Amino acid sequence: MKTKLSILSAALLSATLTMAPAVSQAAIPLAVDGQELPSLAPMLQKTTPAVVAVAVSGTHVSKQKVPDAFRYFFGPNAPREQVQERPFKGLGSGVIIDAEEGYIVTNNHVIEGADEILIGLHDGREIEAKLIGADAESDIALLQIKAKNLTALKRADSDELQVGDFAVAIGNPFGLGQTVTSGIVSAMGRSGLGIEMLENFIQTDAAINSGNSGGALVNLNGELIGINTAIVAPGGGNVGIGFAIPANMANNLVQQIIEHGEVRRGVLGVMGQDLTSELAKGFGIETQHGGFINEVMPDSAAEKAGIKVGDIIVSVNGRSIKSFQELRAKVATMGAGSEVEFGLIRDGDKETVTAVLGESTQAAEAAAGAVHPMLQGAKLESTKSGVEITEVAQGSPAAMSGLIKGDVIVGVNRTKVKNLKALKSALEDQKGTVALKIKRDSTSLYLILR
Amino acid sequence: MIIKDALIYVGKAVLFGLIMAAVIIFILPLITGQSLTNGITSRVSTSSSELSFSKAVRRAAPAVVNIYSLSIDQSKPLNPGSLQGLGSGVIMSKEGYILTNYHVIKRADEIVVALQDGRKFTSEVVGSDPETDLAVLKVEGDNLPVVPLNLNIPARVGDVVLAIGNPYNLGQTITQGIISATGRNGLSSGYLDFLQTDAAINAGNSGGALIDTTGQLIGINTAAFQIGGEGGGHGINFAIPIKLAHSIMGKLIKNGRVIRGALGIGGEAVGPVMAQILNIPDLTGVVITEIDPNGPAAQAKLRPRDVITEFEGESIPGVEMLMDRIAETPPGTKITMTVIREGKSYQVPVIIGEKPVHYN
Repeated sequence: MKTKLSILSAALLSATLTMAPAVSQAAIPLAVDGQELPSLAPMLQKTTPAVVAVAVSGTHVSKQKVPDAFRYFFGPNAPREQVQERPFKGLGSGVIIDAEEGYIVTNNHVIEGADEILIGLHDGREIEAKLIGADAESDIALLQIKAKNLTALKRADSDELQVGDFAVAIGNPFGLGQTVTSGIVSAMGRSGLGIEMLENFIQTDAAINSGNSGGALVNLNGELIGINTAIVAPGGGNVGIGFAIPANMANNLVQQIIEHGEVRRGVLGVMGQDLTSELAKGFGIETQHGGFINEVMPDSAAEKAGIKVGDIIVSVNGRSIKSFQELRAKVATMGAGSEVEFGLIRDGDKETVTAVLGESTQAAEAAAGAVHPMLQGAKLESTKSGVEITEVAQGSPAAMSGLIKGDVIVGVNRTKVKNLKALKSALEDQKGTVALKIKRDSTSLYLILR
Repeated sequence: MIIKDALIYVGKAVLFGLIMAAVIIFILPLITGQSLTNGITSRVSTSSSELSFSKAVRRAAPAVVNIYSLSIDQSKPLNPGSLQGLGSGVIMSKEGYILTNYHVIKRADEIVVALQDGRKFTSEVVGSDPETDLAVLKVEGDNLPVVPLNLNIPARVGDVVLAIGNPYNLGQTITQGIISATGRNGLSSGYLDFLQTDAAINAGNSGGALIDTTGQLIGINTAAFQIGGEGGGHGINFAIPIKLAHSIMGKLIKNGRVIRGALGIGGEAVGPVMAQILNIPDLTGVVITEIDPNGPAAQAKLRPRDVITEFEGESIPGVEMLMDRIAETPPGTKITMTVIREGKSYQVPVIIGEKPVHYN
């Protein structure tokens, strides 16, 4: 009897003792009474090698109009613009998302205009990177390096994030070297800031500063939740208000860049505005957040899906949206041809419609310099017959190669090219001199790129 | 004998239990493949839902409102006025009472309160207290979200806190930090007595909520006090403790203003040198350094260098306590103080006056 009792009490006691740490675990890292202090170090050991420093150098070209008075002295053939070239260097951060392929995500503004991009890995290696593609409107760029033993970050579903979740920023602020800062998710779906054309930011109070751009925002599992991009900084430094592009949005864009070498913006074909409390009252609905549809373009994806004027779009693929801007950013980054489910309110009733996003008519202009260094300064657009040059900057490498506005590139050496992707892949393997077949008005000609 | 038996029995059980526990603690990680010292990563997988403040945010955030002013420019009579983001506020009760900072609303012609669910209300000012920088607004609405509140939980240095507000009118923002310092909750409290936190508080956060990790309100944020002027981001921010804010709110709802007693003196704590000069036995008490010639103290014939040692029979250790006692006494009340003058102790009756309010 005694033995039984003592075994029973022993079992109880041991159970209590072993349970004790388990109970406090749930409250970590808040309750630290008597327990070891929580640390992010074990998680960071695995994640920090995936965040790289991005060092760029290039030349800023600024143009100044030559005053007419000077043109008088130099004759009618004098250049209308004075081109000034200033070399620049820049520093930012990047995130390895594919260790096999060496893909690195960063911000477009980190690498924009760069002639040379150098990646500084966590282990000290420095490797030159190639620009695969970039999207200025969403501020995402994809780089590639050829290297072994890389560490990539796993991506978390950033739509699952909630305000109040822990967030850890990893980057290279002020070029100090890799720096880790912690905070929480302060807000989701932040838009209307005027930082980018397409905004759907995660807001965080983890300290982000100049040089953090392009770096990682991770959760406590060390999974990528966002690409740190911008801050509100009245005094120049961090005040606890930073913005990151959600990992899901970045991933959508990266997939398009990998597939097409460019972002093929999806188009729904609607115009609208934020749902306001006045509008909601006017329409007699309870919902207060969403995108109110003012106009549906004829023949658009929206019309085909049955979206009508007066509808209020409240969710995209099951995730509620707060504003028209958020809707716009989500749709525009999903890529042409994506099938998207929209939740909407029509005449007070909830409905869902599925739309197949159309392709933007103003096809995204690719970063021409990334296609070929001698094409820098040209704006390229895929058209029916080939790749059209829609603009050539004066004094740029493209202009010096002899390209003019309106030229259509139809071939590289003896290979026909039908679109930007084909042009890109055709130029990819060409080292040295390349002959571009051009259609100019009704004539064909070859231009030599060196 | 029985006691000894019992002790041996209990002792055996405890010893056995400890050994079992040690064995289990040692073996358990091997079984589950986790090390107990593996820090946060090992815990994430088991309790990821706890590793977020989202629950606290969901409880408190709907009750934190954005406050706008509908400013009407007198010089432009045709201008219908524009909505300007002023700051934040916290809905304290179903009746629609909202706590905010006085400096948030003091220049507003018409105040508009915006809830997170999109509803907007015009609101009236119930009362303001410039001294603590608090104001109470009221809106009329149904199903108003109310912030959870527990006045009996004191904030401690090191507690994790969340600030909720509308910085730079970006929209609702949650920032996290800890309590860096705590102060007093007395009625005479000024800024430096308030809660100090390193949670990011910026212009527009003013009047918003400082909550604990369970979502309960512990303070009203005020960005008015910024070291180094504009800009913020120094990690030194202040909040009015909820206990003080709540009592001020009660007074504002009741009287439309906070009535504070006044004595009409300036004073300082009795230091060692002063004690020697004034020939008083110990270091407690407040020495009068200034007298308002028209104030209650002057009426009671008090003068500089008098030392107040007791207030209504209660000994006065320092300046703050005396200031609180005076402020808390309703004007017109006759009280008795013990005063030491030239080494002799006197009982002095004083009729407390009212402290004037300066709406700057």
